[in-house]
Amino acid sequence: MAAVWPTFVRNWRVTLRAYPWTYFVGTLATGLLTVGVALLAYRAIGGGRVAASFTAATGGSDYLGYVTVGAAALTFTTRMVLWVAKAQITEYREGTLESQLLTPARRLPYLLGVTLQALTTTVVEVAVLLAAAVALGVRLSVPDPLALVAALAAATVAVLGMSVPLSAVMLAAGEAHITQNTLFTAMALLCGFTFPTGYLPDAARWLGEALPVTWALRVLRAATLPGASVDVPSALAVCLALGAAYLAVGLWILPPAERRALQRSGNA
Amino acid sequence: MRHALRVVAAEALKQHRRLFGQPLVVFSMLIWPVLTLAVTYYTVLPVTGAPAAGARWAVAGDPRRLLAFLAAGALAYTFFFSLVQSAWHFSFERVSGTLEAVFLSPASRLALVVGNGAGALVQNAWLFGCFAVAAASAADLLRVAHPGMYVVAFVALLVPAVAWGAFLNSLLIFSRDSAFLYTLLDDPLWFVAGVRLPLFALPVWVKAVGLAFPLTSSLVVLRGSLLDGARVAELAAPLAWLAALTVGLFAAAAGLLRWGEARAARTGSLQLF
Repeated sequence: MAAVWPTFVRNWRVTLRAYPWTYFVGTLATGLLTVGVALLAYRAIGGGRVAASFTAATGGSDYLGYVTVGAAALTFTTRMVLWVAKAQITEYREGTLESQLLTPARRLPYLLGVTLQALTTTVVEVAVLLAAAVALGVRLSVPDPLALVAALAAATVAVLGMSVPLSAVMLAAGEAHITQNTLFTAMALLCGFTFPTGYLPDAARWLGEALPVTWALRVLRAATLPGASVDVPSALAVCLALGAAYLAVGLWILPPAERRALQRSGNA
Repeated sequence: MRHALRVVAAEALKQHRRLFGQPLVVFSMLIWPVLTLAVTYYTVLPVTGAPAAGARWAVAGDPRRLLAFLAAGALAYTFFFSLVQSAWHFSFERVSGTLEAVFLSPASRLALVVGNGAGALVQNAWLFGCFAVAAASAADLLRVAHPGMYVVAFVALLVPAVAWGAFLNSLLIFSRDSAFLYTLLDDPLWFVAGVRLPLFALPVWVKAVGLAFPLTSSLVVLRGSLLDGARVAELAAPLAWLAALTVGLFAAAAGLLRWGEARAARTGSLQLF
């Protein structure tokens, strides 16, 4: 575990020297404009009311709160995946992957260091998004603060779990742009960030159930929606189990992916 | 003129060779937009299904019409966005070190940027094919006054898009931080142009900003002629505005190219990134 702290410190140094403003503005704009569309549609088309199907699915009629929390959760997931899943392909592109593989440090502590550093910056970015949404007139409530803490922990495990296999895919394919954006758009559809998953066709819904982020979102709904009927302990357990399973698969397929990346750079 | 046409053809061919058949094109032009369309549809569904929403907006009452409305928006947006992407790729010439060589050649600069955009559009023709297949499967949703309106809709999308592409290219060629402009023109563009919402739902200031982008008026014409059975006379105002915007964008592109090149010649910045 000795590699956690040095990785954390190194990534903070990199962030302070060259903060990726373009990424930040891009993800913030996406989140904020999603909230903006919901706000305008709610006022101009819904007349301040929502469909009965929404109330039945969520246990309340707080559409704006629902979309805002979902948009913030999507921003969180996107940013965390960008940091954690891209950590190793970035090392590869910058030419430091070989040095990383030569060190005696294990992969998990390295990835935990990246995750912790990503968490510190992402929480601030999501807070900016939520503050902007509140300034636009969205009212947010946290009826269950304990569940919120649990949701944040669950979401971090879920994102770490999904990022590690993704990192292996990126390394093996030598490509990040298509892989990451396909994952982001698919997650936005399958996990129910901005609408209840009950709206989806059955096949898509089942795909979503297999993603740990979907379960982390359920815990988050319990923490932020007054009428939500979520069994928090079981949602949390499923999220952690799925996250751990993804992580285990990721750590298992990472070494062959690294070898493949090295062979490719050796041939080039 | 013949010389300029040859430059347009050569640049379009180069763009085609660079991009066509790339997995990125299939993902960014088809798979991501379709997934995003589904997300948008489900996100607004709780609001369009609200009591009396159909009285405020007729489309809201029928989920299939809502989907057609959003799909038309997604098509036009993807069409325009392909130009943003194409222009962004053109700015890679700077990184590859070929931008200076391009400017040393006697090729007409305006023809070059027009060719780049036109190439991107020609190779996205298949996108229309996919839309046409989807539209044919839901033919009862299309309300077209007469067959000529298909041509009007297509031209209203194509010509302003080429002008938009030329303008973006002239902007991005001289910008060293093209990724930032790319980000700026991605999400805010769909928001102000009414891609995911009817224009009446937008605040006045957003509508005013949206008017400056040709996508907004192109979308009004596209939806009017294909989904609302509008005739040319009813669409005269957006068509006239589109024509004015197109001329303005071409003029701005020509001006920017001249100014940018003179500045680059003075500062020697064409190789910097």
